[in-house]
Amino acid sequence: MKKLTLGIVALGVMAGFTVPGAFFEKPPGWPEPVYAFARNKPDPEKIRLGRVLFYDPALSENNQISCASCHSPFSAFAHTDHALSHGIRDSIGTRNAPALMNLAWQPVFMWDGAINNLDMQALAPITHRAEMGSSMQSVVGKLRASLLYRRLFKEAFGDSLATGEHTLKALSQFMLSLTSAQSKYDRMKRGEEAFNEQEQKGYSLFQKHCASCHAEPLFTTHAFANNGLPVDPLLKDYGRMQISHQPGDSLRFKIPTLRNIAYTYPYMHDGRFKKLSQVLDHYAGGIRPGATLAAELQTKMELSSNDKVDLIAFLMTLSDQEFVFNKAHGFPKELMKTQ
Amino acid sequence: MHKVAALAQHKEVMLSFRPVAHGKAVVLNDSFYVKGHERIVVETLRFYISGIRLLQSDSLVWQESGSYHLYDLEEAKGIALRVPASVAYNHIRFYIGIDSLTNVSGAMGGELDPVKGMYWTWQSGYINFKAEGRSSASSHPKKEFQLHLGGYESPHNALRQITLSVEPQSDIEVYFDLQQFLETAELAKRSHLMSPGPEAVKLSVMASRCFKTKQQ
Repeated sequence: MKKLTLGIVALGVMAGFTVPGAFFEKPPGWPEPVYAFARNKPDPEKIRLGRVLFYDPALSENNQISCASCHSPFSAFAHTDHALSHGIRDSIGTRNAPALMNLAWQPVFMWDGAINNLDMQALAPITHRAEMGSSMQSVVGKLRASLLYRRLFKEAFGDSLATGEHTLKALSQFMLSLTSAQSKYDRMKRGEEAFNEQEQKGYSLFQKHCASCHAEPLFTTHAFANNGLPVDPLLKDYGRMQISHQPGDSLRFKIPTLRNIAYTYPYMHDGRFKKLSQVLDHYAGGIRPGATLAAELQTKMELSSNDKVDLIAFLMTLSDQEFVFNKAHGFPKELMKTQ
Repeated sequence: MHKVAALAQHKEVMLSFRPVAHGKAVVLNDSFYVKGHERIVVETLRFYISGIRLLQSDSLVWQESGSYHLYDLEEAKGIALRVPASVAYNHIRFYIGIDSLTNVSGAMGGELDPVKGMYWTWQSGYINFKAEGRSSASSHPKKEFQLHLGGYESPHNALRQITLSVEPQSDIEVYFDLQQFLETAELAKRSHLMSPGPEAVKLSVMASRCFKTKQQ
């Protein structure tokens, strides 16, 4: 526990600590991040190690599946075209792999909030039998036997011997570096570019109908809500209630960000909608009433077909090409081939 | 010279945990009986001990800083407490489990590293106490039992504080009466428990009552 004590001391020393520029930057006007950076200070060597780990199938039991298998940079770290997550030996999970971005602002993780800290998030897919099917003991054993990782851990943490703590913190560092704030919407907000008429109409509709849950600038409140989807009879997924055991949490799922939504299809916790038009049709006419239905959806959302087209035009302005094609987030081929 | 003088003013108090059944030490993979007829083989017994304090009657006289220890029957070793030589104590107080602040603070090292296998992966949180093995009363096809006790969120916080009398100013032996625990746990009714909730709290209370010293 020396580490925690040091962390608390560091927190005091760094009062007024602003997250440094090149690797983690708080975009202007955004709220303070919730991740406790004082315990895991942004560091390029740690981000690099985390990036290599993220793309390495050695994290799975049979060396087949990496984090990036279901969180591809080209789909804003979601899994395009796959409704449910895939794992080792063609196993299929029960939920849609979410996009990864702006995680420093996210307080809890998973569709049901089962994970309380970004550091601990990776444990779930690493150990789930329908995902990577491994264990932290096995992963750390493989990393300790690798010359590449001995070097990367030495450079990142001053100790070549991999530990669970350092592995998880490095993965956090890479995930924290995935900031998306360079979309057309962001440029419009900064006064660098203007919306066209259709996008502007869509933005007004968004502010009227969507923004109370998908609040700017992160396009989520990070709360849980029942958005009126009927329960899938095979998956029987009741969301947050399975973790909290509170009936009031029945059918409540994490409100996802809308940033980069054009890249992250299919949609919803079980990937049931392939297209944004289906999502809007659901909100405008498919809401299933229920005891836990979000208050915001109790009255019917009136959207004409023109409104839907305009809304989609606005949602397209949330696409951040710079983020999706950023080589710094991509497969670290310069390091992986030396293995 | 200063440092040597400072060191001289401290002494080591050894704190040892000894699982017992029928008054005898529990040996990994050996069998014993509970309720007269239920045959038990213990394959894993691990628990966290945290927040160790020494008391003189009701007054706190010493507390360990960074106090997190993992007991493992497979490689049981004592905990050396470095206490001021002059301190007088007749009680020990500690937690079985990990506090809620540590549970929400991200990746930890040392005894708290998730590689120790005492951290849930599907839902965040430390496993405070883990007992696994076989019981002839288990309804599991292979007669296994697995009790993983934990949970830090109210109202199902499984962390338990224990205060025990000890021999003044001496090394401390704490016995864990595994026979009593498994009799009250009733494996015939519930051979597997691996999530937080009211059952985990109930079993954690039962387990906490099975820590004893000879001075009680």
